[in-house]
Amino acid sequence: MVAIIHKRSWRDFDWILALLAIGIVLFGTIQIRNAQPTETYWVKQLIGLSIGLVAMLAIAFTDYRKLLNLAPAFYIFGLILLIIVLVPGIGLKINGQRAWIKVPGIGQFQPSEFVKVTTAMMLARYFGKNRVQALTFKEMIVGGLILALPMGLILLEPDVGSVLTYLPILAVVLFLSAIKLRLVVASAVIAVVLIPASYMLGVKTGMVKGYQQERINVILDPENADRRRIGYHTWQSILTVGEGGLFGSRSSVEHSQSGLKFLPEPHTDFIYAVTAENSGFVGCVLVLLAYIVLLSRLITGARRASDRMGMLFIMAFVGGLTFQIFINIGMALGISPVIGVPLPLMSAGLASLIATFIAIGFAISVQLRRFVN
Amino acid sequence: MKFEDTSQNLRARLRFIQAMVVLLLGVLSVRLYVLQVVRGERYAEIAENQRRRRLPIPAPRGVIFDREGRPIVDSRPIYNVILTREDVKGKDLNSLIEPFAEGLALDKDILRDYFELVKTMPAFESIQVKQDATPGDIAWVEAHNLEYPELRVEKQPQRRYPANGSLAHVLGYVGEISPEQLKQQASKDRGLKPGDIIGLSGIEQIYDDYLRGRDGYREVVVDSRGRIQDEIEIVDPIPGRDLVTTIDLDLQHAAEEQLRNSATRRGVIISMDPRNGEILALASAPTFDPNLFSQRIITKEGRAEYAALLNDPETPLLNRAIQSRYPPGSTWKIPMAVGGLKQGAITLNHSNLVCGGGIQVGNKFTRCMGNHGSPDVKAAITHSCDGYFYRLGLKMGIDGIVEMVDEFDLNKRTGIDLPNEVVSWTPSREFKRRMQPRDPEWRDIDTVYSSFGQVYDIITPISLLRTIAAVAEDGKMYIPHLLKEVKAFGTPGTPDYRPPVTFQPLDQSRPNPKVVPIPEDIHQAVVEGMWRVVNGGGTGARIQMAGFDIAGKTGTAQVVGLGKDVGKNKDHSWFVTYAPAYEPEIAMVALIENSGFGGSHAAPAIRGVYDVYYRKTRHEEPPGAVKQIAKKKEPAEIGEPAVAQQRPAGN
Repeated sequence: MVAIIHKRSWRDFDWILALLAIGIVLFGTIQIRNAQPTETYWVKQLIGLSIGLVAMLAIAFTDYRKLLNLAPAFYIFGLILLIIVLVPGIGLKINGQRAWIKVPGIGQFQPSEFVKVTTAMMLARYFGKNRVQALTFKEMIVGGLILALPMGLILLEPDVGSVLTYLPILAVVLFLSAIKLRLVVASAVIAVVLIPASYMLGVKTGMVKGYQQERINVILDPENADRRRIGYHTWQSILTVGEGGLFGSRSSVEHSQSGLKFLPEPHTDFIYAVTAENSGFVGCVLVLLAYIVLLSRLITGARRASDRMGMLFIMAFVGGLTFQIFINIGMALGISPVIGVPLPLMSAGLASLIATFIAIGFAISVQLRRFVN
Repeated sequence: MKFEDTSQNLRARLRFIQAMVVLLLGVLSVRLYVLQVVRGERYAEIAENQRRRRLPIPAPRGVIFDREGRPIVDSRPIYNVILTREDVKGKDLNSLIEPFAEGLALDKDILRDYFELVKTMPAFESIQVKQDATPGDIAWVEAHNLEYPELRVEKQPQRRYPANGSLAHVLGYVGEISPEQLKQQASKDRGLKPGDIIGLSGIEQIYDDYLRGRDGYREVVVDSRGRIQDEIEIVDPIPGRDLVTTIDLDLQHAAEEQLRNSATRRGVIISMDPRNGEILALASAPTFDPNLFSQRIITKEGRAEYAALLNDPETPLLNRAIQSRYPPGSTWKIPMAVGGLKQGAITLNHSNLVCGGGIQVGNKFTRCMGNHGSPDVKAAITHSCDGYFYRLGLKMGIDGIVEMVDEFDLNKRTGIDLPNEVVSWTPSREFKRRMQPRDPEWRDIDTVYSSFGQVYDIITPISLLRTIAAVAEDGKMYIPHLLKEVKAFGTPGTPDYRPPVTFQPLDQSRPNPKVVPIPEDIHQAVVEGMWRVVNGGGTGARIQMAGFDIAGKTGTAQVVGLGKDVGKNKDHSWFVTYAPAYEPEIAMVALIENSGFGGSHAAPAIRGVYDVYYRKTRHEEPPGAVKQIAKKKEPAEIGEPAVAQQRPAGN
């Protein structure tokens, strides 16, 4: 029996998805090495990839329904991790954020990346019943609460960037849980009209402080913003990307923007800028295409899922992933503000990498069981 | 989709999400296209520029020598202690005050104030902690390399001028190019850039292109903290060319000493070789220290010193030889005599004119200081008879005087190779119209005034000297100049070789020399008159040197009306001269401001310089040292004017 399942599983296994993910990670590892040739981040990334692959396979061949049934337990475990990280002595403080747990041997890892997965599981589980009617107000409140608990804990670290990446998870889940379209349209209109309007009002009344305006100006007009202080990251990243040109920069790795330390955080937040400098427009567009294909495979998987729960989990993952890719690359291209969000599968960082592979494993598991009842 | 429920239109919503994914990533690729393809080259250039830096290697400036090869100005390297700003980022600057003050012998308070100031400056700048560090300081910095890696020692050439302001007005000084100068097209043509050290005055300015050389540079790659990571290119500097001046330091120092010891310590002595226009000495007093501009001007004290110089009523920055105009007094009689004889107003056979103790023109009587009977032109020069020259002037008329002025170039710049020479004021109908608009008509009394070196004759010492030298040299008027030679550079035959350069008139259209034809008999007569001034019991008799045949003419130039000429308003004392009278080697002019009679102040000062010249060229003690003469009681000067009780109103 096990052999039969395995034989069919191997055949139905989403090879494209898995290989695409591995390919992006390997390409990213080369860029990490370009960014920090003298450091060992790229080796750690390969170790992370191995761990991630093991986790992915383990989860892919486990019935996701069993896992989702245990979602509340995972969710609570995640919350405990977020509480532990806040305890001084266990939680590691880097750049003013207590967001890492020290693990002997490996280094440190960031629990908020894993909690994203457990939260998505919890949401999928709660909204996964078969729907007969439109979303109720009560359901929206409960969904909000499921999201609010981890977000609140992460805000205490404080890690605003990570918190923002949680929002699209809920948004997608609500959108696919028959939320009334008027509500969607209404909130979109509110966002489009009210946010700029209130910003303008805030500037006029002085509620928005000078340095806050400066941050916005950096995005609106990076060339004329303060390039030495607040606009430094954005401006240097734009230069790095621009230098890549069509086929990549001709200057040596030692004389590159990251090699001379003009580009800050080149192996994590600005890995895409490093990619742009080294592989040019052609390489950059190929990376974007790879992400589009990867996300499309996931959406296809969701469409074929045999139940709502599986579909919702995959789509929640897609939502989070898309948002993170957009914000991170947007940051490198100077169209979104600089918040510390890693680029999934490319930025150096074990937690993000392993968590992403866990989610991919989950998606594969959903697909493998599309004919099974 | 087994769980699908038509009311939810789930399929459409999934498709919507799929579209959103493609849309968002599509936006990114458009932005990528703009940054990398449209603007890529521009950004690449900016990125390239921010990691490349050109560190200048200053070219050593050429040395300036005197005519005998003795160095006057050179550039010695000094060492500055520099703090790299980026390396102390985040460090508490105040914690560095104590050890720095102790190790480098600096004042703590000054250092603290300085660090406060530094906090407001851009982070990429380097800070100069100590200028002109001693070998001890350098050793201290090197010994503490591990504790204070941010400190380093930088070499910088610094111009060093002679002490006591010697030759300051001739040499000028160097300084950093000003923003205004940078904007000028001429500066751009010469390839000057901000921070360049250029000649700002004197021959440093005129011959800057030879002296300056060309800076080299190191092109390096720096990281974001400004630390050098790699060296791409080194271009060695081309040193500036050495320059030999016509100055004779022995004469120069003698002239300066005479001015220092003069009654008012204000005045000019210029010494020139009449045979070629080479300036042997040029001293203007009071003087200033050019080191102020090359070294101290960046400090607070230096700027205060400069402001004090600008506000000094004695105008030490002014080069009195070429930038001040004075009435020449009786020295004017020399060109007048030459002009009068040449134009035929008088002839050598009939050159006698009545002295008359003065002259009555209309209702004004302008007097002569003595009564000289009816002297000929030689005696009139020797005894400086004003009455004679009043009448000579009337015979020449204003047009004759203008003709004489024009012949001797007295209404033009001499063309000396120094910046900012001014033009003398000389008599003309036009000049009177401008000076006295209420009485613009030229009258005989104006001609009288114009003929003895007052009122309408206000000239620069250098132009007067050139005239006297021309009389000495039979009418050959050389352009006075300070450049003997710009030394050759490199090896002959190589492409880098630059041959030596000698003086060329800045205005190429001017002949050098300009020749004023003076018939030999006229020349002889005037020279004899001048010779007698010193050797024939004339107004300069006290500086006689037996066997050296000094020819000269005293002058006492009125500053204010008669009776008020005391203290600060005393007359200017003049002496113009050359020697030997019949084989000229050296011509000189001396002016001592507000000191009194020419024969008692300017002439003895000239004698002091002649003594040095005599010792140098004749290798023996000069006959009749000046000190013995100085002990004698001052003889009252005969025939020197105390003229202008009848000066025109408004003077």
